[in-house]
Amino acid sequence: MQREEKQIDNALDVMLSRVTELKNSVIHLLYKMDHESETLSWPTVLDNFALISSQLTAFNKCLGHDKVPPLQNLVVLPLLLNPDRDEDLLRMTEGRIPAFAHDVVPDYLRTKPEPEVEQKMMQLEHKAAGLSNETTQKQIAAYTKAINHILDIVAKAREDCESENVTRGGASQTSSLADTQTLAAAIAIGKGLKPMVPQGVQSPGMMVPPGNRPPGQGPPMNPNQPPQMGMMGKAPGTIKTNIKSAGQMHSYNR
Amino acid sequence: MDWGQPVNTAMDSLTAALKSNIIPNQEYLLQGSVLDAAVEVLLHRLRGLCDNVDSGPETFHDHEMCFSIRGTSPQPLLLRVRRALDYQDMPWQLRYIGQSELGDKSRPTIVRSSIDVGCNATVVEFLTELGCRMDFEYILRGYMFRKGRMKITVSKIFKMGQGKPPESVEPMSQSYLVELSVLAPNGQDAIGEDMKNFAEQLRPLVQLDKIDYKRLPVTGPP
Repeated sequence: MQREEKQIDNALDVMLSRVTELKNSVIHLLYKMDHESETLSWPTVLDNFALISSQLTAFNKCLGHDKVPPLQNLVVLPLLLNPDRDEDLLRMTEGRIPAFAHDVVPDYLRTKPEPEVEQKMMQLEHKAAGLSNETTQKQIAAYTKAINHILDIVAKAREDCESENVTRGGASQTSSLADTQTLAAAIAIGKGLKPMVPQGVQSPGMMVPPGNRPPGQGPPMNPNQPPQMGMMGKAPGTIKTNIKSAGQMHSYNR
Repeated sequence: MDWGQPVNTAMDSLTAALKSNIIPNQEYLLQGSVLDAAVEVLLHRLRGLCDNVDSGPETFHDHEMCFSIRGTSPQPLLLRVRRALDYQDMPWQLRYIGQSELGDKSRPTIVRSSIDVGCNATVVEFLTELGCRMDFEYILRGYMFRKGRMKITVSKIFKMGQGKPPESVEPMSQSYLVELSVLAPNGQDAIGEDMKNFAEQLRPLVQLDKIDYKRLPVTGPP
């Protein structure tokens, strides 16, 4: 009798340490999901799941170990249900269970799945057992085929996307910095837009009294200006004033 | 006699508006260009990105004249007069644009002060009487898009033919000018980030950037 109790104690110790490990892994993952959801990558989550899963397997193994007495033969019997708040229990369960009362006990001391779940599992197991080996193989093959197909589609899309990026980056140039600068300078300071000698426009503009100007003088400000400048060398008498003004313009240039 | 009252009130409310900083007098600007061959792709992308999807892009065909007057400062004061060639009966626009502040790398866009006012065709005569002279002029023709507060224009710049009718104009270059701008009250620098992000979406089709035309490489006019 004593030997058996000792065995149970030992088994419980091992189970407790396993469960604590499992709990820590789950807490770790939950913490990551809560606090690092921005940076958490899918592979990291999968790694954590793999860890938890291996711990569960180890836990299952240790349950089936020779030294562990068959736990199914043991009964957990709640001796006292108490609706009052129990501080010790609260501390032991890390704040999860405030009272050992009738509404939580069925859940926490449960040893079998809920009837509905049990029924569903039975159905599924039945169905699985009913399948012949051949059909199973067929279904697995069909499933693999479908998944491979999807994988192919994804791979192809990726290839297309990458090659498109390469061709786009390499081949076609769609903008020219020189043009940008030409256009920006044109609209900002009129570079390339002003008549041949930009400063020359100013002098006559300042000197000619407004009354002498042609009417509607927005756009065709000085239509005859460039030819005049061109003829400057052999300047006929009539344009002498303009030569003077051109001389003035140089003073502006400095 | 309380003559000045109405004037004072107008001035007061203008001053108050200026003080409380509700006048959008700052322009945040990014510039770029796109080659003629690729402009359709850009327009297509803008149609997808911008707000006025249903109505399609707004077109414009404007004539801009830039007047300058020399005051006490060595820099001449520039005033721009713009009119719509496609809507002759629309009001004209007089615009002052201040010096472009490029800032350092941390500033995402050019910032310059900008004041717009509506006017009519007599503005040219008015400016001339003031002593302004026309510096240069050009024709713009293109498309306008909106995205929230941002305005995106894709326009072709044409030189005016000397004494020729406005129809016979010659393009400045083989590219369309692309401008992304926002008018906002002073100090709303956060909009610059939005603009930067939007500009990022147009890459590599168009490189919208702070263009400093004063430090251009010397290239002969085309």
